[in-house]
Amino acid sequence: MKLNERQQYFDLTLTALAHPVRRAILERVMQTELRVTELARPFAMSLNAVSKHIRILERAGLVNRRRVWREHRVSFNAAPLKQVSAWLEKARAFWSARLDALDQLLKAEDAAATQQHAKKGKPQ
Amino acid sequence: MTAENPGPLIITRRFDFPIERVFDAWLDPARASKFLFATPTGKMVRVDIDARVGGSFHITRRDGEDVEHVGTYLEIDRPRRLVFTFGVPKFSAQVTRVSIDLKPLPGGCELTLIHEGVLPEWLERTREGWGRILDGLAAHLAKEGAA
Repeated sequence: MKLNERQQYFDLTLTALAHPVRRAILERVMQTELRVTELARPFAMSLNAVSKHIRILERAGLVNRRRVWREHRVSFNAAPLKQVSAWLEKARAFWSARLDALDQLLKAEDAAATQQHAKKGKPQ
Repeated sequence: MTAENPGPLIITRRFDFPIERVFDAWLDPARASKFLFATPTGKMVRVDIDARVGGSFHITRRDGEDVEHVGTYLEIDRPRRLVFTFGVPKFSAQVTRVSIDLKPLPGGCELTLIHEGVLPEWLERTREGWGRILDGLAAHLAKEGAA
């Protein structure tokens, strides 16, 4: 996948996750494959509205929908979430390294100041 | 640190330096060029920091190729809080938000960095559900691995 394409999917994943109904749907299909009607049951909304949420999850690749006879079954696909998770790990490593560098920089400044002080005999 | 809730990304670090020095390093071009987006082999070719609310920064590192880091300062409350948007246009059109909170401790200070991976509005709507979603993913993957 090209970078732009991957970015697009990443954005779709985040958009898909940005709604409590879709997160609830996702949490349930993580456990097991479910029929659309089963997924809709706990929500006070039309089947059509739930179906729309499922489509947004589908577009992000978070769920797959397949037809079994006259039913639509929805199952979970972990790949996009793994990508989000990997991004978070990368960002954590990045900032961790930056904070290490800041600490080292301040230590080096102090060490340089002490050295200069010893050499010239005057405060910085 | 909250490993079980990595969205938003939170990192806490203690420094044995006065809070003002740690804070100022983020806005001082000379220091920022040494620690902020530096790499061992890279060279900073541009470090512009307009350190006021609404002001922006451009930090470009040359390391084979030029990589520009850009952002806008949203809050500057020396020495306790600094918030800025952050993006690397070369790699992503996404604008993220970084907030840094500092609190004094005896002999130093504690820094808490929060990197909100995406736009704040998104985060607001998602904050609550993150832990559960990622716990769910972990459980799913464990099950997948066992199957």
